[in-house]
Amino acid sequence: MNIVVCCKAVPGLVTEVKVGADAKSLEYQGQLLAINECDEYALEEALALKRAHGGNVTVVTMGNIKALEILYFALAKGADRAVRVDCETSDARVASTVLAAALKKLDFDLVLTGTQARDTLGGQVGIAAAALLGLPFAYAVVEIQMASASAVKARKELGGGRYAEVELSLPALLCVQTGIQPLAFVPPARRMRARQQSVASFTPADLGLDPAALAPKGYRLVDVHPPQRSHRVEFLDGTPQEIAAALISKIREAL
Amino acid sequence: MARGVLVLIEHCEGKIDSAASQLLAIGQRLAEKLKVELVAAVIGYRHDGVVRALQSAALDRIVAVDDPRLARASGEVQAQALGEVARQIKPRLILMGYTLAGMELAPAIAARLGANAFTNCVGIDAVDGAVKVTRPVFDNTLHVEIALEGDETAVVALQKGAAPELKPSAKEAPVERLALDLENFSAQSRLVGVTEEPRGEVDLTKAAIIVAVGRGIGGAEKIRLVSELAEALGGVLACSRPVVDVGWLPRERQVGASGKTVAPKVYIACGISGAIQHLSGMRESKRIIAINKDPNAPIFQVAHFGVIGDLFEIVPALTKAAKESRPG
Ligand SMILES: Cc1cc2nc3c(=O)[nH]c(=O)nc-3n(C[C@H](O)[C@H](O)[C@H](O)COP(=O)(O)OP(=O)(O)OC[C@H]3O[C@@H](n4cnc5c(N)ncnc54)[C@H](O)[C@@H]3O)c2cc1C
Ligand SMILES: Nc1ncnc2c1ncn2[C@@H]1O[C@H](COP(=O)(O)O)[C@@H](O)[C@H]1O
Repeated sequence: MNIVVCCKAVPGLVTEVKVGADAKSLEYQGQLLAINECDEYALEEALALKRAHGGNVTVVTMGNIKALEILYFALAKGADRAVRVDCETSDARVASTVLAAALKKLDFDLVLTGTQARDTLGGQVGIAAAALLGLPFAYAVVEIQMASASAVKARKELGGGRYAEVELSLPALLCVQTGIQPLAFVPPARRMRARQQSVASFTPADLGLDPAALAPKGYRLVDVHPPQRSHRVEFLDGTPQEIAAALISKIREAL
Repeated sequence: MARGVLVLIEHCEGKIDSAASQLLAIGQRLAEKLKVELVAAVIGYRHDGVVRALQSAALDRIVAVDDPRLARASGEVQAQALGEVARQIKPRLILMGYTLAGMELAPAIAARLGANAFTNCVGIDAVDGAVKVTRPVFDNTLHVEIALEGDETAVVALQKGAAPELKPSAKEAPVERLALDLENFSAQSRLVGVTEEPRGEVDLTKAAIIVAVGRGIGGAEKIRLVSELAEALGGVLACSRPVVDVGWLPRERQVGASGKTVAPKVYIACGISGAIQHLSGMRESKRIIAINKDPNAPIFQVAHFGVIGDLFEIVPALTKAAKESRPG
C-alpha cells in the first residue's frame, strides 16, 4: 500500500505577531520550525502500515525552504521519498487546493494528514483536500486497519469517550490523532545521513495551478491580540510554602 | 432580502446536540442585526422529534431532509447532503458547532461550495452589516479577528461557550421537506458502528477535587508527584491528552473534548497549557487553580487562581501543606 503523509512545518514560540500588509496573513518572529505534532504521529502510523503491509511512504510538505528540515526528519524516520511544494499560505482554501493538486501528481492508496496545525488551529486542510479530490475521509482517527485489499477500517473519535468505526474504500484520506502509535526515537546519526537524500520540489505552476487559485479572498484580518479573559485570574506569589498555604485556603473555601 | 443565516443542527438518537441551542441563539442575534432570514437545517432519518423541538426557536423556516440513507451516514455522505442543502438555500452564513462531527463536516461542506470556512471560532458578531469572527491561532495564545467581505457563503464553526439567551417564539416555524438525489452521492465510506470507551476504575465526573497533570510534568516517573497531591487532597488524578498519548496514564484519566467533561468543585491544572480541547472539558469547574511556568499560558484565561511558577516547587509544597492541614 502506497501512503502519502502531509506534514507541516510549524513554528514553536512566536513573538511580535501582527496582521500582515495584505491583511490575509500574520507576520511574526518565530523560532525554528518543527514537524506539527499530529503529523509526526500520522507519519509514524504510515511507517507502521508499511511494515505490516508493504508499499512505500511519501511525505509532502508545502512551505518555504526552511520546511526542508522536517522532510529530512521524515526521511530519517524511514519515509521513502520527500516532496516539497514551494508555496506559503495560511489560508485553508488555498492550502487545500495546492495540496490536492500535489496529491494528484503522486501515486497513493491512502493519504494521512494530522488533525490540526498548531499555528492555524484550523483543522481544515486534510478534509478539504479530500473533498476536493472526491476521496472518502475520516477525522480524528485513532486506529487504522486493513479491511480488505481495497478498503481500510478506521476508528475515529466522536468526543466524550465515544468512537465510530468507519470503513472506507481506497483511495481514502484519514486525519490522524496524536497517540495513534508510540513515536520512535530518531538517532542523530540517521538524521545527519538523511540530509544527503534528495527532495523533489514543485512550484504551484508545476502543479498546473493558476495564480488566481492562490489568492485568499472573502475576508480581511483586522486584529490579533491576546485572548480576553472572561474574568480576572488572581495570581498568587510568595515562597512555595506561602503559595501552598494560600492555595489550601482557596481549596477549602470552594468545597 | 439579503442572503440569510443557516444553522446546521447536529443531533444524535433523537436528541439535539447541546451546541445547537447556542448556535440558534447566536443565529437569532445575527439574523436580527443583518435583517435576514434565519433557517435551520436538519438531516437524518425519522427525526421528527428534533424538527418539532426546533419549531419554537424563532426560526423563519426549517429545512428537513429525511431519508433512510442518512440514518447512519458517513461524514462523506453527510457533507454532500448538507452541501446540497446549502446550495439550494444560498445563505450568507452557515453556522455549525465545532464538535468532532463539525470538525469533520465544516471543511468538507466549505470545499464542496468553494467557500471559506472559519473553524474553531470563539465569537461571531455583526456590526453595521459587516460580519466579524474571532478565532484562536498559535496554540491558543492569540486571537485573530477576521472581517468577512463580499457576499459569498462562509462556513463558521463555533466552539461551545457563552451564548446569548435563546428567545423562544410564539409562532411555529414552517417545515420544508427537501428530497435530495442521494442515489447519486458518492458513498465510498460507511459507518460500521459506534463504541464507548470501556468504564475504567475511576469516574472523573463524580470527583469533587480533580488534580490534573499535563505534559509539563516531563516524564512518567514524575507523575507520582501529582498523584500524591491528589491523594493528600482526597481528590482524583486526571490529565491532558499528551500524557495519555505517550502512555504515562490511561485514556480514562483524560479530560477534554475527546475525553471526559468534568465540573468538580476544585480543578487544579499542573503543567497544562490550556488548549481549547482541554478547556472544553473542564471550564465549568467551580474553582480552577492553574500552576504553569508560562504567564501567557491560555489556562490562565479560565483559571480563578493562578501560580506562575515551577510545578516541581509548588506541587510538593502543596502536598505537604495538604497533609499538614488535613483534619484528624
Ligand atoms: C480533535 C482533538 C481533540 C483533542 N482532545 C483533547 C482532550 O480531550 N484533552 C486534552 O487535554 N487535549 C486534547 N487535544 C489536544 C490539545 O489540542 C493539546 O495538544 C493538549 O491539550 C496539550 O496538552 P498539555 O497542556 O498537557 O501540553 P502542552 O500544550 O505542551 O503544555 C505543557 C505546559 O506545561 C507548562 N510547563 C512545562 N514545564 C513546567 C514546569 N516545570 N512547571 C510548570 N509548568 C510547566 C508549559 O508552560 C506548558 O504550558 C485534542 C486535540 C484535537 C485536535
Ligand atoms: N503546508 C502544509 N504542508 C503539508 N501539510 C499540511 C500543510 N498545512 C496543513 N497540512 C496538513 O493538514 C493538517 C491540518 O492543518 P490545518 O487545517 O492548518 O489545521 C495538518 O496536520 C497537516 O497534516
